[in-house]
Amino acid sequence: MDTLNFVFPNDLHVHWSMMIVLYPYLTGLVDGSFIVAALYYVFGVKSLKPISRFSLVFALAFLSCAMFPLLLHLGRPERNHNMMITPSPTSAMSGAGYIFTVAIVLIALIVLLVYRPTLVKLRNQSKGIMNVLYRVLTMDSTNLSPESLELDRKIIKFLVAIGIPVASVLHGYVGFLFGGVKANPSWSTPLMPVIFLFSACVSGISALILAYIVIKKLTNQPVDVACVRTCINVLAGFFILAFSFEMLEVFSHSYLKTWYHHSVEGLLNGPLFYSFWVWQVAICSLLPLFLLGWLCLFTLKESVFQFFAAAVSFILLLQVLFMRWNVVIGGQLMSKSTRGYTEFHPEWFDKEGILAVIVLMSLPFLVLFILSRILPLWLEEESISS
Amino acid sequence: MGKPDAELDKERRAFIKKVLNGTIAGSLLLVLPMPITAATPEFPEQISGIRGKKWDMFNQRFAFIVDITRCIGCGSCCVADRREYHVPDGYYRTWVERYLKDFNDEVYVDSPNGGLDGYQSPRTDIDVEIRDTFFVPKLCNMCKEPPCVQVCPVGATFKTPDGFILVDRERCVGCAYCIQACPYSARYLDPVTRTAEKCTWCYHRVRKGLLPVCVNVCPTGARKFGDLNDKSSEVYKLLHEHEVLTVLKKDMGTYPALYYKGLRREVV
Amino acid sequence: MKSSYNSHIKRIVLGLVVFAVLGFVGKIVLTPKSFGKYGPYRADAIDEEANQEIRHGTNASCLSCHPYEAKIHLTGLHKTISCEFCHGPYADHIKARKVYGKLPVKKKQEIKVLCLRCHNRAIQARPEEVIKTVVMPEHLEKQKVKTSHTCDQCHHVHAPLKYINRAKKIVGIKEAS
Repeated sequence: MDTLNFVFPNDLHVHWSMMIVLYPYLTGLVDGSFIVAALYYVFGVKSLKPISRFSLVFALAFLSCAMFPLLLHLGRPERNHNMMITPSPTSAMSGAGYIFTVAIVLIALIVLLVYRPTLVKLRNQSKGIMNVLYRVLTMDSTNLSPESLELDRKIIKFLVAIGIPVASVLHGYVGFLFGGVKANPSWSTPLMPVIFLFSACVSGISALILAYIVIKKLTNQPVDVACVRTCINVLAGFFILAFSFEMLEVFSHSYLKTWYHHSVEGLLNGPLFYSFWVWQVAICSLLPLFLLGWLCLFTLKESVFQFFAAAVSFILLLQVLFMRWNVVIGGQLMSKSTRGYTEFHPEWFDKEGILAVIVLMSLPFLVLFILSRILPLWLEEESISS
Repeated sequence: MGKPDAELDKERRAFIKKVLNGTIAGSLLLVLPMPITAATPEFPEQISGIRGKKWDMFNQRFAFIVDITRCIGCGSCCVADRREYHVPDGYYRTWVERYLKDFNDEVYVDSPNGGLDGYQSPRTDIDVEIRDTFFVPKLCNMCKEPPCVQVCPVGATFKTPDGFILVDRERCVGCAYCIQACPYSARYLDPVTRTAEKCTWCYHRVRKGLLPVCVNVCPTGARKFGDLNDKSSEVYKLLHEHEVLTVLKKDMGTYPALYYKGLRREVV
Repeated sequence: MKSSYNSHIKRIVLGLVVFAVLGFVGKIVLTPKSFGKYGPYRADAIDEEANQEIRHGTNASCLSCHPYEAKIHLTGLHKTISCEFCHGPYADHIKARKVYGKLPVKKKQEIKVLCLRCHNRAIQARPEEVIKTVVMPEHLEKQKVKTSHTCDQCHHVHAPLKYINRAKKIVGIKEAS
């Protein structure tokens, strides 16, 4: 079939590489953890209280590092401010700067208000530079009267409520960024923002579950199983939606059999056979689907439940990573000639290489660690009810 | 014999001096690089009606027509374009594709190095009987509704009022979104400037009344460029008479200003 | 001074307002001057593109300094070929002054490669009404010429049929139409 393979000369090179796989992944994690926070603070799901604060700090840590993959990808990162100064009214990408600013300010404010009583207490206990830091973080106010706490509660609820559409746009615009490219048949579908958003929620909730269980196990502390159970139920719901939309996309292409969509089928059955059908669908979607069903519908021993909850979360984190890879890089393997596919070979030491990906994936955890020194992650540590 | 010796000597000396000066100056001329003097010949204009007037930004209409029936795959256009813009290796502003069709309606397409070396020998990897072959030059379609302009986040690529789509090298951030959005694969990311680049229909030449280089060097007239405001131009005649002219990927809704004459249904 | 119950909120709001104002002012200050003149882009970029260096001339500009070659080139079938394709762009010639575009055509069969770039019929895609094509080495065999001959041994590169026609006139063969 090689004689039939024809790639336009300018299509040989894959321009959107692993950094562009990583960026939606990071903002997806932010979205998912924000959903958990929203379920607690806006919808009052009480069983999520143990990770309510953790989810906010987790979201903040990942959002703070979300721009780095983009800066590494840009040909001219020193001009990135152009997107804020002269954003194009017709480009989805130009929203990036403003949406990101709004989102990070919003989450930072929510974190500060949620943690205010704790921070005031820590300010009174600390000295030196930490004292200055806590004074700044509490806006130099020590007022913890019932009226101020009531005001805080109302504002937090309001901010988290508007945070839901903000978080949706934060990740949804990335989906639309792909969905709006008519030149690429595997990208241009109205379902793209929906698929991205639901799989983002899946990745975020899985990350929270996995992080919660792992951190608690490493610090020898008990895991609140009711909380994990609620998370698993929510995760199952979002995953069913995400998986259904992903499969709907593929099956409607292969049913409609239009001229361009033949090359999508050729892509999935050809260069992407292993990474899509074997990994993304079989191992990382169908298997977790059954695992989640088992975890949600049957009563299990706590240790078994915890183990499989962590396992299924890990597999789903992989699923979302594969999905991002197959969409971003897989989509570019199809040449616009509709007659062939090019190849992608990840480099180790490129500025968008494997090493860079590893570093950027570790960075949010470093930020999380630093934040945990300033903002206690767990409510049990201070027995505060907020 | 008329002059006294002393005077003759003086004349001889003056003569020798002149000759020596001339020889030295002459040999210096051979060795030193000369500044570009006014002796540079002017390029006679190739598109009439542009020189000597202020450029009307709002009322220009240019068209580019590619005649498939006349392309011989010599690759002169690719070579000239590469030299005009110092296009880096592996990237193409324009290229020529070769299409082969066999008796089972199977289509084989190739474009070795974008046709830069011309097509010097037949394809050796196909052993079926070939029914038909033709060449298709490709370049920027200069769409009237360009998807690349739509997606640029910083306004670095834009459609000018005179209908050309250009790239602002000072503002481009190198995000490569326009490269993803172009259905014709006309754009690339220059690895040296790390900004997006594409064929500009030689805007800098057209503004001075010259044809684009690829049109200028095409030996068979497969590439045609002209002013649609000039009713005597070849492109005007082709677009207004009974020639069948088509565009690439019509259903993309980009309305290209690049037309093809004699385009075949196998071409994408 | 004890803060009131909402002073932290007031300070946050004040901080946000200052941030927004600074951002807005920054945006106005940093937007380039010609931005927005014709549309959401920097209009000066149009003139920057228009003033790029012109590197190729036209055949007329080459032939205006080279009348001897002009006379031959303009009478032959190669008159539509650009001088600069073989000899390099005009701008390089002006800069280098004494160095002209040199093609790899001197050694052995190199020139054949250049000619066959256009004239090879084995490619099948070259229409006869546009260009005359030949198949090597059959073309040489048909002309009863050694197969190691290069094209320029019979054909003048600037006017390919110049010597052919003269030879035919001498021998008395009428040119096939």
